[in-house]
Amino acid sequence: MPSLKDLRNRISSVKSTKKITSAMKMVAAAKLKRAQDNAEKSRPYANKMKDIVLSLISRSNTNNLKFSKTINKKTVLLIVCSADRGLCGGFNGSIIKHTKNLINILKKNGKDFKFLFVGKKAYQALRRHYKDLTIDLISDFANPRIEFEVASSIRDSVLKLFFNNEISECYLIYTKFKSAISQHVESQKLLPVEKDNKSENQTKSIMYDFEPNEEVILDDIIPKNIAIQIHSALLENLASEQGSRMTAMDNATRNANDMIDKLTLFYNRSRQALITKELIEIISGAEAV
Amino acid sequence: MSFNLEIISPQQTIFNDEIDLCILPGIEGDFGILKNHMPFLTTLRTGIAYIYQNKKMVETFLVNGGIVEVSENKCTLLSEDILKTSDFKVEKTDDKKEAEKMRISKKLYYS
Repeated sequence: MPSLKDLRNRISSVKSTKKITSAMKMVAAAKLKRAQDNAEKSRPYANKMKDIVLSLISRSNTNNLKFSKTINKKTVLLIVCSADRGLCGGFNGSIIKHTKNLINILKKNGKDFKFLFVGKKAYQALRRHYKDLTIDLISDFANPRIEFEVASSIRDSVLKLFFNNEISECYLIYTKFKSAISQHVESQKLLPVEKDNKSENQTKSIMYDFEPNEEVILDDIIPKNIAIQIHSALLENLASEQGSRMTAMDNATRNANDMIDKLTLFYNRSRQALITKELIEIISGAEAV
Repeated sequence: MSFNLEIISPQQTIFNDEIDLCILPGIEGDFGILKNHMPFLTTLRTGIAYIYQNKKMVETFLVNGGIVEVSENKCTLLSEDILKTSDFKVEKTDDKKEAEKMRISKKLYYS
């Protein structure tokens, strides 16, 4: 049985842990609000852009597009968005798991892959196996907010690799924010640009007037679309990270509370037992005299 | 006599209202959009977008590239780099020449 002093020490250590986790929860909640706002504000632009690009692609001949041509058929670039810090529950874990699953599928199809990491955590987890395949690591970009330039610089390096025929496909792995307690890891195909069979049926058959023409507009807006999809993914990812951290820290605080309650009860019982024992000793001692 | 114009930047929706007319700097020249315009899609160059409500100009925007889509009486302008000109402030400078330049350029934006 632990001594009373040991118990007191344990209680105070759990209490200080609780202070840390509840402070982290508050910070995450405040950051979540801002991140969620930003993510939601970026959605109309990203969705509209996606719609326009899809409807343009579905009505034009994609074989002529420079964004659809693939010479090197093997290498796939994975852009893995994760957090820079830990202590956010299963957030980074599920991204890494999703990435590994995707790698296994790609391996079965006989593809090679390369990585571009955004955020340190996924890099730290995967660098042991794939150190030579990592092209770049981008971290500390969300201070204080994610600028559009981050996304466009990622886009530039992706397009450079694509046009140098070093990669033939590009996937973006990120966590889509639904609510503070529900997020979902998704992978989105950025390159090559191809017709989406599902949406083809839905596209309204309005005849648009194009100025100057479809191909020129597509060449102009596809790079923009890639950048905006990356930007929006980064914002969603940040919101998910904060949401995930908030829930994780909330749980940790609650667990700490439970633990403190249990330990305090145990401490009081032990103390009571000790007092009773001492009293019995005194009384029986007095009786003996 | 109005249609909906929505101006969206990656950060936020800047403008969303019923308007009479907008004049936008298209890649092949400025164009105006009125109610019941035919479906239209084009890219923008750098220039100024003028917005008219009730036959009066209510707002101007500085646009640096973007896309415009018009369909079903709805005009959507997507731009990564767009600024409301009324948000501009002329900074105070001691240099008279600078100040004059600023004044003229501001006048040009509004004219």
